Amino acid sequence: MNLLAFSDASSFETETPDIDDVRGVTEDVWASLLGEEEILLPRAVPPGTPFDKDDVWSSAVTISGAWQGAVTLEVDADAARQLTSQMLGIPNPEDAEESDVADAVGELVNMIGGNVKGMMPGPSTLSLPAVAAGRAAFSNDMHEACRLDVSWRGAPVRVCVHVPVASDD
Amino acid sequence: MRALIIDDSRAMRSILRKIVTQLGFETDEAGDGQEALDKMRAGLVPDLCLVDWNMPVMDGYTFITSVRDNPEWRDVTLMMVTTESEQRQIVRALAAGAHEYVIKPFTPEAIVQKLELLGLKAKFVTPDGAIA
Amino acid sequence: MAADGAGMTTPTAFASVSALVRRETSMIYDEGKEYLVEARLAPLAAAKGLRLEEYVARLAFDAVERQKVIDALTINETSFFRDHTPYQAFTDAMLPPLLDARAHTRRLRIWSAACSSGQEAYSIAMLLDQHLPAGWDYEIVATDISTQMLERVRNGRFSQVEVNRGLPATSLVRYFTREGREWEISERLRSHITVRHLNLAAPYVGLGTFDVIWLRNVLIYFDAETKADIMRRMLPMLALDGFLLLGSSETTLDMPADLATAWRRETIGRVQAHRRAGAPTGGTLPTSTPLARTGA
Repeated sequence: MNLLAFSDASSFETETPDIDDVRGVTEDVWASLLGEEEILLPRAVPPGTPFDKDDVWSSAVTISGAWQGAVTLEVDADAARQLTSQMLGIPNPEDAEESDVADAVGELVNMIGGNVKGMMPGPSTLSLPAVAAGRAAFSNDMHEACRLDVSWRGAPVRVCVHVPVASDD
Repeated sequence: MRALIIDDSRAMRSILRKIVTQLGFETDEAGDGQEALDKMRAGLVPDLCLVDWNMPVMDGYTFITSVRDNPEWRDVTLMMVTTESEQRQIVRALAAGAHEYVIKPFTPEAIVQKLELLGLKAKFVTPDGAIA
Repeated sequence: MAADGAGMTTPTAFASVSALVRRETSMIYDEGKEYLVEARLAPLAAAKGLRLEEYVARLAFDAVERQKVIDALTINETSFFRDHTPYQAFTDAMLPPLLDARAHTRRLRIWSAACSSGQEAYSIAMLLDQHLPAGWDYEIVATDISTQMLERVRNGRFSQVEVNRGLPATSLVRYFTREGREWEISERLRSHITVRHLNLAAPYVGLGTFDVIWLRNVLIYFDAETKADIMRRMLPMLALDGFLLLGSSETTLDMPADLATAWRRETIGRVQAHRRAGAPTGGTLPTSTPLARTGA
């Protein structure tokens, strides 16, 4: 440990990504898969509100290294099947199997998470995605630093960036 | 021409397959770098590899290094297609022998234009199957 | 979701437009995008007093309308090194004689006319950065009618989607720095770009003369008279031994006789360069190599 590290300790506060950048990255992902005409509409959701759908798919990636954090995606299940059918070229969204949806929702958070990592101080590594049918649960050593609530084809979509809870000063 | 698509996501492989198939490539797929190396060692040597970075078993960076270590695979064109977008990582991949680098998310034309940069001039297949 | 109305009802019409766009721009319009193609082409067809299908049929033999279709379907889709071949001709065939001729001043001036968001100007800057010998200087004057676009050129920031397109990865890491979600061009290149607001149909005042003028895919938007006027006023803007580049569908052949003689066409590879009558001949393209085979 050197002096510089010590003198830096007072400013040890995790940087958080800008919400506009997170929105932009998410919009880019949607546009690349579905075309420019597919719009993500903003949704006003009060802070602390849980994702308002029970039938939901969640996925997460963690980033570790010079920057620590996690990026999660929650998507309404119907919307997730539509995204899956688009990505996998399945004509009827109803025909998308659970493993297909898991794959697609995992790749979506991978794309968003990788770009979030690219915007933060590096070097860091990105985990493989973890996917679950249902709401995402988080350990309490992480807190939500940035949250994007949007609506796609009328269904809710949420992207969150979580950072470790700062140790007491 | 033959393209090997290496990505752990079937959805992403499907997207890439659709694009390069339209360009007249025949395609093979692998879910990680090791599976891709195994296929190549078994004689399936492609003209082009589209390589993700973050994958289980063997990541794309290790795969590229392994391909470059084998002189018999000198002619294989390597293009990273990944969400890894830290500038220093792009530099690393290029130094390890990747010819091109596409950052996810991408539009189909980004892939097409990068392949043109590499001199892999696309042969467009029209809906009736003719080469335009 | 597609509006299957009176317009592009036959799949062949859509297929031929989609094949055209793919061939010329490498953009892919899949099935399901019919409504989008229709929306963008309808005004062009109407301007010609044609039904959409008649208009599409006409594209087979009308290069000018073809270019308009491509532009309409690629709005804001300018890419770095768009079309490749002009850039290859620039470095391989235009630069060598200019380097000889300007050995005393060691300075080149380039005009990117109708520069849009600046990809053309910055593509040229990257090539000059790589190909000019030490001790040489260059200025690229980027002009556009849109002040909003000029602001973008000045900022030199491009989105991830934009830098994915047409830009070799080696150039991305060499000339850009990631700034949040965007990539910012290096000051080393930006310092050579001068941004000027200019309507091509109005007088060209205080611009000086140029060694190479890039005037691509913009004349098609002017009527014949204005087009001729622009080409006439371009003459004194270009050094006697300079080069002017038009879009691949644009020509001086259909212009008044005085212009057809004042501008000499010179074929460089697959590119038609325009030169002033009396310019020295030369500029043959050496062996063709891909513009940017990067990496190992």
